[in-house]
Amino acid sequence: MQLESILNKYFGYSNFRPGQKEVIENVLQGQDVIALLPTGMGKSLCYQLPGYIFDKPVLIISPLLSLMQDQVDQMKQFKEKRVIALNSFLNPAQKRTTIHYLHNYRFIFISPEMLLQEHVQQKLNSMELSLIVVDEAHCISQWGFDFRPDYLRIGQVIGKVNRPPILALSATATTKVLRDIESYLNMDGPYKFIHSVDRPNIHLGKMLFQGREDKIDWIMDHVSKSAGPGIIYTQSRSKTESLSGRLLQAGISCAAYHGGMDPLDRQFIQQQFIDGSLEWIVATNAFGMGVHKQNVRQVIHESLPSNMANYMQEIGRAGRDGKDSLAILLYAEGDEEFAKFVGIDDYPVDAHVDSYLSYRSRNEQPSSMIQNGEISETAFRVLDYWMNQLQPAEVRQQLTSMKYEKMRAVEEVMELIDTNKCMREKLVHYFGQTLDNTPNDCCQCCGMDYGKIIHRRENDATYPHLLNWKDRIEILLLGNS
Amino acid sequence: MIFHHILLQIFHNFNQERSISAPFHLLRGKRSGQTVQDVGIYQLHQYFGILPKLTRTKYNEELSTLIENQSLIVKDDGFYELTRNADEQLKKMQKLSLDGWHYRGNEHIYFARLSLIIQTLSHQRAGQMTFVPIQKDEQVQQWAKGFLKANQYKGGQLQPRLLNEIHSSLEQTNVEESGKNILILRLSGYGSSGLTWQQIGFQENMNDIDLQVIYIATLHNWMNIILANSEYFPLLHQMADGLRIKNPLTGSAFHSAELFNNGHSIEEISKIRNLKLSTIEDHIVELAMNEPHFKLEQFVSTVDIKKVFTAVDDYNTRKLKVLHEVVPHLTYFQLRLVLARGEQDAT
Ligand SMILES: Nc1ncnc2c1ncn2[C@@H]1O[C@H](COP(=O)(O)OP(=O)(O)OP(=O)(O)O)[C@@H](O)[C@H]1O
Ligand SMILES: [Mg+2]
Ligand SMILES: [Zn+2]
Repeated sequence: MQLESILNKYFGYSNFRPGQKEVIENVLQGQDVIALLPTGMGKSLCYQLPGYIFDKPVLIISPLLSLMQDQVDQMKQFKEKRVIALNSFLNPAQKRTTIHYLHNYRFIFISPEMLLQEHVQQKLNSMELSLIVVDEAHCISQWGFDFRPDYLRIGQVIGKVNRPPILALSATATTKVLRDIESYLNMDGPYKFIHSVDRPNIHLGKMLFQGREDKIDWIMDHVSKSAGPGIIYTQSRSKTESLSGRLLQAGISCAAYHGGMDPLDRQFIQQQFIDGSLEWIVATNAFGMGVHKQNVRQVIHESLPSNMANYMQEIGRAGRDGKDSLAILLYAEGDEEFAKFVGIDDYPVDAHVDSYLSYRSRNEQPSSMIQNGEISETAFRVLDYWMNQLQPAEVRQQLTSMKYEKMRAVEEVMELIDTNKCMREKLVHYFGQTLDNTPNDCCQCCGMDYGKIIHRRENDATYPHLLNWKDRIEILLLGNS
Repeated sequence: MIFHHILLQIFHNFNQERSISAPFHLLRGKRSGQTVQDVGIYQLHQYFGILPKLTRTKYNEELSTLIENQSLIVKDDGFYELTRNADEQLKKMQKLSLDGWHYRGNEHIYFARLSLIIQTLSHQRAGQMTFVPIQKDEQVQQWAKGFLKANQYKGGQLQPRLLNEIHSSLEQTNVEESGKNILILRLSGYGSSGLTWQQIGFQENMNDIDLQVIYIATLHNWMNIILANSEYFPLLHQMADGLRIKNPLTGSAFHSAELFNNGHSIEEISKIRNLKLSTIEDHIVELAMNEPHFKLEQFVSTVDIKKVFTAVDDYNTRKLKVLHEVVPHLTYFQLRLVLARGEQDAT
C-alpha cells in the first residue's frame, strides 16, 4: 500500500507534513534516523504510522510521565487499543501482568528508569521489537548530564548488534546535542532530517524592567487588555499560585499548573484549556512538552528560562494552528542571577561527595542520604550516577563543570535580552542553523507592534456560573434540558 | 478556620497530656503503637489519617496562627496549654464529623470510581464515546468498566437512576451545602470540566486545607449514609462497598487478635507467636479499641470500670500514672484496656 493511503486510513490525514515521509521511509528500510522537526510539526506520526506496517511492537522511550500518559490517551482516542504505558503509575501486580503480556502490544511507552529495570530487560530481550523510539531525545544531553542520568544509560541497554532501528526525535537540538544523541545511543550512521527550528508565525517580543514587581504589574495590565489563550511561565510553584491568584482576583479565568499538583487538577486544567473555558495558565516548566492546544496565542515568560532549549520548547506551545502568535520574554534586573541560583540550587556539592564516600566506607547504602535528609532525590540520582562512573576527584570536577555549564546556559538566554539585533537570528544560530527568511513583525529588535499580532480582550464573562450541586450533577448526567 | 477548629478539638481531647506533634501524627495516620493507641485513649477516631499528605511545614504554619491568635501556648518541653480563648472557640464551633479511622483514605477510591463513571455516562448521554478518562489508575478503570457492563449502561436508564440515588443520598447527608457543592465541582462530564482546588477555593472563598477537610468530611458522611441504607442506593452502594474497614487492625495485631478470638490466652499467644507479653497486650488493647463486641469484663470488673471513669472525671486526666495511683489494684494493662474501650462500656 502507498504510504499516503495508510496515512489516510489510520489517521485521516491526506498529506504528510514536511519531513514525515522521508523519516518514515528510512525507518521502514531499517535505517537509524535522527529527526529534528519543530514543535507541533507531527513527530509522533513518524513512529505511529510504521507501527501499523510492522508486525512487531514499537518501543517508545519518553521522559515525562505526564507526556507518556497524554500520548497513550491520544492514541486510545484514535481507537488504538494495543497501547500501554509502562511507568510508576502501575502497582506491582499490574506491572507484572503488563510485562508478561508486553509482546502483545503494538506501542509500548516506557520511562528510561523503567527500561533499566532487570525484569523489564529480561522481557525485552526475549521478544522482538520493530523499532526503538527515543522521544524528546535532546534530554539525553540536556537532562542526561543533569537530573536524568538514566537517559545516558539507554544506549548501554539497547546494545549495538542485533537490534531494531532507532528513531531519535527532537524539536530543539543543537549540533552538539545531535552529536551526543548519535554517540550515546550508539547509532549506526543515522539518516538525519533536520528541519529549520524556526517557527515563523511566533513573533518574539521582550520587555525590560527595573524591578521584579514591575513585571507583575505589567502582566496584570497586559493580560487584562489582550486576548488569550495564553501561558505564563514562571520558575516556582508558589509563584504560579500567587500570580494566578491575582489574575483570578482581577476577573481573569486562569489556573496555576506545576509538577506537584493533584493529578485530577491536572486533568481539569487540560480539559478547561482545550475546551476554551480557561484563558490563561500560569505554569512552571512542568507544563510544556506534549501539550496540545492548537490556538495558544501568547506565551509570556515571567522569569528567564534556564536554557535556550527550554525557551524554544515553551514558546513552541504557541501557534500550533499556524496563525500569528506572540511570545514575550520579560526581564528585570538581576533575573539572570536568580535563574542561575534556581538552576544549581538542587545540585550535589562537594560535601555530598564526601558524605557518599563515608557511607560507602561504613558499608551503608549511600541512598540513605535521601532518607536522612542530606540530599534531594534528584540530586542523589546525579551524584550516584557519577560516583559509579568516575573516581571521586573526577566526580568533583564533573560537578563543578556541570554547574558551570548551567550558569553558561543562562548567560546564553541572556543574549536574547542583551542583543539589539534580530532575536530570531540569535535563536536559530544557537541551534547551529541559519535563518533564511525574516517574517514581518519578526521580533522586538526588528520592530513589531503587539497590537497587530494579538487581539484586544473582549470582556466576556468566561466564568462558569455558580450552580448548586443538585443542578450541576443533573446537567452532568442528563444534559442541559 | 475549619482546620483550626479541628486542631483545637484534637488538642482538647489530648488533654494537654501529649506533645504538640501528636496531632500531626494523628492527622497523617501514623501507624505507630503510640498514635494508634492514643486514638482509643483520647477518642480521636474521627481524625485519624484524614490528611496523609500534610507536611510538617504546613502544620507548623497552622500552629503558629493558633499561637498568634492566643488559642494555644507551647511550653518549653514541647507540650502545650489551651487558653480560655480556645475554650470559647470550642464551645461556639459547629462540629464537623469525620470518620477517618474507618476509611483510611479509601474514600478516594470511592470518589475515583464515581468520577469515572459519571464522566462516562455523561459522554454516553451526549453520544460521545471517545474521551480522555479522568482517572488514570488502571484498577479504577477496570472497576468502572465492570460496573458499567454489569448495570447495562447502554440502555440510557443508568443516568436517571444514578442521579436519583445521588440526589436523595446527598440530601440525607448531614453536612453543609458548601461541602456538597465542592464535591460535585470535582466531577467532570461532557462539555463541563471539574474545577481545580484553587478555582474552588476562589469561588467559595476558602483556603486549601479547609477545602480538603470539608471535602473529606462530606465523603465520609455521604458514604456512611450509603452503606447504612444500601437497599435504597444499590448503585452507589456497589461503589462504596467494602471500603469502610471493619477490622482496622495492623498486621501483627491482626494475627494476635485471631488467636485471641479463637480462645487462646494472652500467655499462650505470646508463646505461640514468640513475642513479648507486653507486645501481645498492646495487640489486645488495639483489639478492644476496634472490636465492638469485645467483652471488657473478661479482664476488668464492671465496678472497676466505673471506678476508672470516675477517676478520669475527678482528676480530669487520662494519664496512666495518675490513674494508677487512684486505682492501684488495677494493672496498667487493665487501665489501658478501659481507656481504649472509651465511655461505651461505662454506660
Ligand atoms: N500529516 C499530518 N496532517 C495533519 N495533522 C497532522 C499530521 N501529522 C501530525 N498532525 C497533527 O499535528 C499535531 C502535533 O503532532 P505531534 O504531537 O506529533 O507534535 P510533535 O512534533 O511531537 O510536537 P512536540 O515537539 O510539541 O512534542 C497533532 O495534533 C497531530 O495529530
Ligand atoms: Mg512530541
Ligand atoms: Zn527579528
